[in-house]
This record gives sequence, C-alpha cells and structure tokens, in this order.
Amino acid sequence: MARARRSLTAALAAALLAAIPAAPAWALRALHVDALSMRADRAQVAVGEAFHLAIHVHVREKLSTLDELVLPDVGTMQTLGDERHVSVSPSGTDVVETLTLEPTQSGTFTFAGAYLDAIDARTGKPSRFSANSVRVVVAQPAPRLGEALWSAVRLLITVLLWALVVAAAIAAVILLIRFRRRPRPIADVAPPVVPAPRPAPRSPRDAVAEALRAYRDSPANGSLLRLRGALFAAAGASEGATLSDALARTNDAALRDALVAAEHTAFGPSHIRDASSDALIRTTEGWLR
Amino acid sequence: MTPPLAATYRAEPARPREVLDALHATIVGQDDVLQALVLALIAGGHVLLEGAPGVAKTLACRALAAAVAGTFRRVQFTPDLLPSDIVGTRIFDQKTGEFATVLGPLFANVVLADEINRAPAKVQSALLEGMQERRVTIGPQTHDLPAPFVVLATMNPFDAEGTYALPLAQLDRFLAKVVVQYPSREEERTIVDRFGAGEPPLRANVASLEDVLRWQREAHGVHVDEKVRDYAIDLVRATRGAELVAHGASPRAALALVQLARARAYLGDRAFATPDDVRDLAPAVLRHRISYDDRIAIAGGDPEDVVRRIVASVPAP
Repeated sequence: MARARRSLTAALAAALLAAIPAAPAWALRALHVDALSMRADRAQVAVGEAFHLAIHVHVREKLSTLDELVLPDVGTMQTLGDERHVSVSPSGTDVVETLTLEPTQSGTFTFAGAYLDAIDARTGKPSRFSANSVRVVVAQPAPRLGEALWSAVRLLITVLLWALVVAAAIAAVILLIRFRRRPRPIADVAPPVVPAPRPAPRSPRDAVAEALRAYRDSPANGSLLRLRGALFAAAGASEGATLSDALARTNDAALRDALVAAEHTAFGPSHIRDASSDALIRTTEGWLR
Repeated sequence: MTPPLAATYRAEPARPREVLDALHATIVGQDDVLQALVLALIAGGHVLLEGAPGVAKTLACRALAAAVAGTFRRVQFTPDLLPSDIVGTRIFDQKTGEFATVLGPLFANVVLADEINRAPAKVQSALLEGMQERRVTIGPQTHDLPAPFVVLATMNPFDAEGTYALPLAQLDRFLAKVVVQYPSREEERTIVDRFGAGEPPLRANVASLEDVLRWQREAHGVHVDEKVRDYAIDLVRATRGAELVAHGASPRAALALVQLARARAYLGDRAFATPDDVRDLAPAVLRHRISYDDRIAIAGGDPEDVVRRIVASVPAP
C-alpha cells in the first residue's frame, strides 16, 4: 500500500514537471513566494477609457529584479504604459507591476492570472505560482451630443462633396459633348467684333401706339390705365399727375382730345364707357396719324 | 304792369353755372370763393370764409341768396350774443295770454354768421347744432329749418383778441373753409369803378329754391369712380401722421371731399367726378380739419404749406 502511494506521488511529480514548459530547472531560482495577486482599478470601463491592471508579488528574498514574473495576455487592448516598482524591505521584496490599458472593443475580458516559475524554497521543488484572474467588462462608449452632431455634419459634408463631384463630372461630360459637336472655325482668324445693335429709343408715340394696340385687343381696366398713362407721358406729365396737369403741358389739339377721352373712359360711368372708349380709340389714332 | 312772358317763363331749367355767373357779375375776382359758395349750395353744406375785412365776403353771401331767390339773414356774432338771439325764443303775448314763438335769424335759406369766433361757445354750439340737424328746438317745439339751408360763417384772421376759437369738432361741421384773398391791382381798380357810384343791384332770381333742391338731388347721382374715391380717402389718410400735423382729418373729410367733387362735376355739367375735382378741392376740405403742430406757430410757418405738401404727396390715379 505504501509502495503504491509512493508510485502515485512520483507519477504526479513527473506530470507536474512535464507541465512546466520552458524554464529549465537549472534556471529557476528558489523563492519564498508569499503573495502573488492581480487586480484592476475598475471592473467596468468603456471603449477608449484607460484603466490600470496591477500585479503584486511578495517574496521573502531580497531581490533587485524579478524577471520570472510573466504578465497576462492583454488581447486586443492597447497597452498605454507598463511600470514596474521593486521595493526591498526586511520582510522581503515587493514587486508591483502596473499596466495601463485601453480597451478598443466592447465585451467581457478575463485576464488570466500572472504567474512566475520558481523553485519553491519551502519544498525545494519547481513550482508555478499563479495570480488570480481578473474580469473587466468593456461597454460601448456613450455617444456625446457634440460627437453625434459632428458625425452627422461629417456625413452630410461627405454626401455633399460626393454630390458635387458627381455633378461636376456630369457637367464636364456635357460640356465636352457640346464642345465636340460645335463646328470648328475654318480659320484661326478671330471674328470681327460686331457691337450688339442698340435698341432704337422708344418715342412717346411708340409707347402710345403699343398701349393702344393692347387696349384694342383687351379693353380692360389695366390696358386702359396703361394707354392713359402713355398719353400723359406723351403730353409730358409725370406719373401721379391729373388731366389738368397734362393739358397744361401740351398745346397739341389732337393729343388734348385723346387725353380728355381717356379721362372720360377711365372715370366715367359705365353707361357712357362704350361711347367714350370708341372716342378714345378714335382720338388716339387721330393723334398717332 | 304785367311783365312780359319771356321774363317769367323759362323753357330750360336753370343751371348752377348761371348762379355762378350772377355772382361774378357782382363780385370782382374771388373765383375760388364764389365757386365754393355755389358748390356748398349744390352739396348742401356750409362754408367757413376766412379773410380780412372788406374783401366782399358779406356781399358774396347776399348775392348768392338773391341769385337763388332765397331769404338772407346776417347775424353779427358778439361776445354778449345769446343762443336765443339766433335760434329764436318764446315770448308771452299779453293780448292772447299765450306764449308765441319768435323764430330767430337762423330761419333763412342763406345765413351769414359774421365773425363767428367772437361769440361764446354756447352760441357757437347752438348754431352748429342747427347746421348739423337742420332743425332747432325752441321751448317745447322743434322747428325744421328751411330748405335749402346754407350757413356761411366768416372769421377775421387778424383780430384774435377777444375771440373764442372754434374747436376742431365744430370746425369739422363746415364742408369747406375758403381763404378769401385780397384782390389783385387790376381787380381792385374794377371794384373802384364798379362800386364807386354805389352798390350795383344784385342779380336776383337767376334760379329758384326748387332748382337748388333739384341740383342737390341730381348731384347725388354724379358718378364717382372707385379710383377717384380711393384717391380722396388716400388724401385724407395722408393728413394723419404727416409732418407738422398733430391730428389728421376725420373720416367726415373724405365724405365731404367726395360730396364736393360730385358738386364740382355737376357744376361743370359732367356726369362723373375726376381726380382733378378731388385734388383741387382738397385744401378747402382739409385745412380746417387738421390740428397743426405747435412748431408751426413757434417758427412762424404757414399751415397752407403743410396742406399743399400733403396734397402733393399723394399721386393722383
């Protein structure tokens, strides 16, 4: 029975040694590891927010470094800083390793515990001392109003720029097509510059004739007032003048007849309007002749 | 002796133009004043005449009454005048033992209220009430004033001492205010020649009172186009808020302007009023209905200039 127990212990020890991978036994130091722990200063962070992951080791030996300490894998998190502080005291050596991390994606992250391989000075056997694992929940960042607005503006500007580019491209294509269709000049001689014909100055008679045509076509109130205004202007009376003003400015008997007829048509009662309208047309034609 | 038939019988009804001609036959110059009197007669309104003494205000009123065969009364307004002096009163008749009504000088077709601003407010008020209501109450009885009834009130602009200024609300009752100017040199010479040997006889009975009433009815039928009406309204509205005007004219001014424009068209034998009618009459209708800013009096400005500017600021249709 005792023999069988020894065989089992030996097998376990062999399995344990097989499980310790890289470090060869001759490289391991004998250490009294009293503490190996790991903690995060925040259990929940948002993407883009930095937090600290601290690993603390205490050994009884007085050491200047502890190279055996293996830090946990931080995965997709970005390492912003790594600071190791070693302090020696009569009770031993304290090593504090502080990692500053920034999550880049959301989710729940479990950091495997840091560990160190050493000969356990208490047992004299090679051992792996592991810290506790740490879980950190990473949330999506809360959208801020300014950022949201800025994002919308950026999107809008992008869309507009693209629209502008597309419109410019279409315009360029159209211009190109038109340019190609236009017949090329036979010679490179610049065509003579012909000044645009200046419109002939409209005389008062032209204005009256035009207004009379409009009034004949449609003897409505608007065309009547236009004709009356043209006759007033022909007499030299300004806008807002009365018949007496216009009559005072002209001695042309035919024009005076037309002015009086226009007054009758514009302000007379409806039952004389037809007769006065005929008189207006007749007298205006008489003046135009 | 019986007058010849031709002198009493008229085949054609009298026209207001004949009354105007009759006035011109007596009065030298003063075209605007005489026209305003005839227009007031046609429109059934009252006229305020402002002018220096001796410019034929009274004579013009007498001539008007004579031309239309109407009765004429003249009341000289003084500070001691009482309302009963113009309206009438009731006196006790000892013979019959009853009260009898004595009608005052207001009961005439043409009443000349000479120097109306010299009477106290109570008398002015009695006159103006009669002008507006065309009836007066004496004791228990109400008496209609004769028709046609025209009050022609005069004011002397120079002797302001001891006068009672008419409030704006009472001035508003006058259809028009005419400023009677001094005659020109030529006109004054004609006056001396014409009146040197005494006052010539007035041309009487050119028309009858019935003619005047007919004119008044027919003038109501004169067409006023909406553009002309709107022009009158715009002119009146332009007085409100105009420069150097404390208070503008009331809506009664627009009514008066249209009423006088109709009368002027009728006088000119036209069936419709024109913008010229409105514009030419606007100063007479507006000048006494505007309360002017004190700055005019302080700076010695002329209210007529204010009215001219207002009229010129509104374009005719």
